[in-house]
Amino acid sequence: MNWNFNAGNFSLRLPVSDQDGDALYALMNDQAVVDHIPRQAMTVSAQALDELRRMAMRFETREAAFWLVEGMYDKQVIARIGIHHINWMQLSAQLQWELSAAVDLAVMQEILPQVLQFIFEELKLHRIEMRLCASERHEQLLQQLGFVREGVLPAQQEYEGDNVDLVVYSRLSSD
Amino acid sequence: MKFTPELSFAGGRVRPLTYDDADVLLAIYQQPEIPGQRVPDNKDQMTRMVDYSVQMAATQRGMIWLLEVGADDVYEVQGMVSAYDWQPSNLRVMMRVDGLPVLSDEHRAAALQTCMDFMAQKYHLRNFAYQWIAGQKDSIKSVLETVGFTAAARLRDGWRMGDSEFADVIQYHLLRAEAKPVPGRLGEQDNPGQNLEKSFSNKDGEA
Repeated sequence: MNWNFNAGNFSLRLPVSDQDGDALYALMNDQAVVDHIPRQAMTVSAQALDELRRMAMRFETREAAFWLVEGMYDKQVIARIGIHHINWMQLSAQLQWELSAAVDLAVMQEILPQVLQFIFEELKLHRIEMRLCASERHEQLLQQLGFVREGVLPAQQEYEGDNVDLVVYSRLSSD
Repeated sequence: MKFTPELSFAGGRVRPLTYDDADVLLAIYQQPEIPGQRVPDNKDQMTRMVDYSVQMAATQRGMIWLLEVGADDVYEVQGMVSAYDWQPSNLRVMMRVDGLPVLSDEHRAAALQTCMDFMAQKYHLRNFAYQWIAGQKDSIKSVLETVGFTAAARLRDGWRMGDSEFADVIQYHLLRAEAKPVPGRLGEQDNPGQNLEKSFSNKDGEA
């Protein structure tokens, strides 16, 4: 199975551990990019290398798959999109994305249909959900991309001393 | 070491699984409450489940009790109470009751409440979740609300029942009001961990 694919003017590829550290760090050292997860932005480049190794290990066990999204021509990484908590019994997974400021609805409309096609048709999963902190930008994107808001799960984790509620959105292969 | 305690509730008790329970466990699983749950066909799987229940409790990943109704050493097994997807760092756990048809809503609620009280007091868990799956008895939802759960989300097709059949899941949550424990260094509070023979009240483990 080929896990790398193109989406409009972008290519989505599994990262290469010893080559993509700088690009991942450039994306993930911006707090605005990871606020919705929630997570602290990376502060040193070594964190990107650790993250790349974790991504590779999780992919090896097919627990997760994360793609770097880069421009087809300028090769600039503008986002990371991935699925994790893949449950092969329940045919479900959780979607996660970190989007640079350059990513808007038009870009996502190029990228996400190809991601979903891969998830539903190649991986044969049935349900994909995203759990995130309340966020106008990301929730608006999800709704415009056809995700359905399912509710709010309270106190899912502790972050910066506060209990964090997570909003749940989903897409089904049958939607 | 003892990891799962026996606890009393009004009208019965919950107690840890033993190898002698293989037959009753098999009987419970012959009448699964959850739609699409496969019916096991031999006792060996139940024996492994007893092992699994001990391992889960010892490593703080879950806990399983047998639910018995009765009194004065005359008890009838009517189900199980399980805690799984235990996230100690987030003080969070998922609960589940598997009851035989004879299990009343009152006993279901009382057993569930007792197990949650234990986990809140012993392990400081504060966020209890429960997943009701479409196709289960509607009265279970009332039981959950009686105990204090609130529906938080409807997960569309969140439960797989067959090759291409799915059921919606309503996820309930109950947030306990007790204050969270204050983190301390090892030994500072004589943290008893999962060893029930020790307690915060007596660091020597004496009664």
